[in-house]
Amino acid sequence: MKTFEEKWTAWLDGQLSGRELIEFESSLPDLAAAEAEKRDAQKLGSFLKKELGAQALSNEEFFSHQLRERIARESEHRPRSTSTWWTVPRLVWSGATALALFLVTTFVLMNRNNPGEQSDYLTQILNSRVDPVVNPNATVSIFESKNHNNVTVLWTEGLQSLPADYAAK
Amino acid sequence: MPHRTLLIAVLVMLAAGALSANAAHAVWSGLVIAENVPQPVQIPAELTKFEQTLKDLFGYNQFELIGQSNKTLRTGEEDWLAVSKYFSLHVDARGENEAGYTLNLTLYKEKEILLETDANLSRSSPLVIKGPQVGGGQLLLVLVVKDDQIHRRRHVEPSNPITTGWYRLRRVIHRMLP
Repeated sequence: MKTFEEKWTAWLDGQLSGRELIEFESSLPDLAAAEAEKRDAQKLGSFLKKELGAQALSNEEFFSHQLRERIARESEHRPRSTSTWWTVPRLVWSGATALALFLVTTFVLMNRNNPGEQSDYLTQILNSRVDPVVNPNATVSIFESKNHNNVTVLWTEGLQSLPADYAAK
Repeated sequence: MPHRTLLIAVLVMLAAGALSANAAHAVWSGLVIAENVPQPVQIPAELTKFEQTLKDLFGYNQFELIGQSNKTLRTGEEDWLAVSKYFSLHVDARGENEAGYTLNLTLYKEKEILLETDANLSRSSPLVIKGPQVGGGQLLLVLVVKDDQIHRRRHVEPSNPITTGWYRLRRVIHRMLP
């Protein structure tokens, strides 16, 4: 059973017909006033449809292009939150590589010379002087002995001999 | 970014190596009277390692210490004296080099200069100088670079191979740096 408001709305929209239309119009106290009101409502509907309809864009391609460019620009300027290079597998590989390098270097250095082994450097005499006035016949010679603890010897001859007292501590 | 991290790590390692590898050495210098005697006394401890060498080279059976000095070098530019009653050996270190130390040596008999020499004293090669005849014997001057206590302990005690490798790496890095 429709209410009066439902029948009134349907009548305004022209959706009542047949017996239902006759019964509703006969129930109206002033049919002429109702008809005037119906015409006003239809005018208002037509006006609203005309004025509020969607406007078609004349430059929709340009608008879409601008929109896409702006989105792209904003995406580029957004800072990256995390570094992408140091992933877990790369960290593991970097650590393993560093450890391998350390072990290889250590092995090479350990085999280069054994503990306690002496280097080949010998002591070098750069120059030597003996006072020619006090020791006119003095001579100096140098020799190195690799067979005797790598000793380098500065050998003097002809220095003035001294009495045994000079051996005192 | 990874290159920068690696570079920083290498620099830190180099700095650590350079600082820790800066170990000191000591130079032992001795005035020795070599003689042939019927009952030779025991050779001084500092010369034990070279006893046979000295005997072979100079032909004496006793080596007596009449003066000595044991100088620890920090900068390689120190100077010191080893003295006996009549002789003194002035040693003037003039810098460290790859092999050891550059030294200027002057032997005095009281205030008179008997001998002056410049030498690069190697860490692995002692220097022996034959001085004047004294009575029936001979004055010898002996100079030896000795490792400091840390180095000596490391050589005596068996150490971890990794630790040994690490110390070698530090030493190599230290030598590479100016």
